[in-house]
Amino acid sequence: MLLRIFKVSGHSMMPTLNPNEKVLVSSIPYLFGSPKKGDIIIFKYEKKFLIKKISKVEGGRYLVEGENKNDSLKVSKLNRKEIVGKVIMKI
Amino acid sequence: MKLRNLFSLETAFAHCDVPCGVYDPTSAKIAARGAVAMIDKILNPPKIDEKDANSIREFHNSMTRYVIVKEQQADICKKEILILWTDYFKPEHLEMFPDLHDTFWKAAKLCSDVKRTVSKEKGEELLKTVENISEMFERAEKASHK
Repeated sequence: MLLRIFKVSGHSMMPTLNPNEKVLVSSIPYLFGSPKKGDIIIFKYEKKFLIKKISKVEGGRYLVEGENKNDSLKVSKLNRKEIVGKVIMKI
Repeated sequence: MKLRNLFSLETAFAHCDVPCGVYDPTSAKIAARGAVAMIDKILNPPKIDEKDANSIREFHNSMTRYVIVKEQQADICKKEILILWTDYFKPEHLEMFPDLHDTFWKAAKLCSDVKRTVSKEKGEELLKTVENISEMFERAEKASHK
């Protein structure tokens, strides 16, 4: 996947991303480098796409969390291959 | 042509099923304390005047309420413990807490014991175990924010 558009559903990324906002997502940045702390990413979780921010990189695994801590699902650390792409811009 | 028209639109979820990752062992602790308080009341029952029909009715009413609330609170405690075990704690926590599964399994069993019996010892053991789970939760939270 080089470029995809996603619509945000839910509140856990507020105030950075509001529900129903659309974002352009690409895997291109990760062809040339690794995901970094602070990147907003799309990843696969239990057959759904989730959107979160990388809060910590540890031993090649990625801890992610929402901006809105009161409304954010806690997920296990991600492996590189679970990350679908990086949010490039809001559209 | 707008960029968004070039691509199919997919959905990225920024949330989970309600209550969206809000976990707290406090509910389990309160419920455990409630169940133990009922054990205390059952073990120290109200005085009864066996010649007074109203006193007998009040006694049975009170004891029935204590048993019902003990059952309810132990059940709430068990439910809250199971939520923490199955939803909050993840396989990665096993490195930090090798006895995680055993602790939660015993805690759930203790809730059943508290429902089934009127044992002060079982109640105290449940309180201690829930307190231990609460400390595990705090340590896991601190580790996740480092």
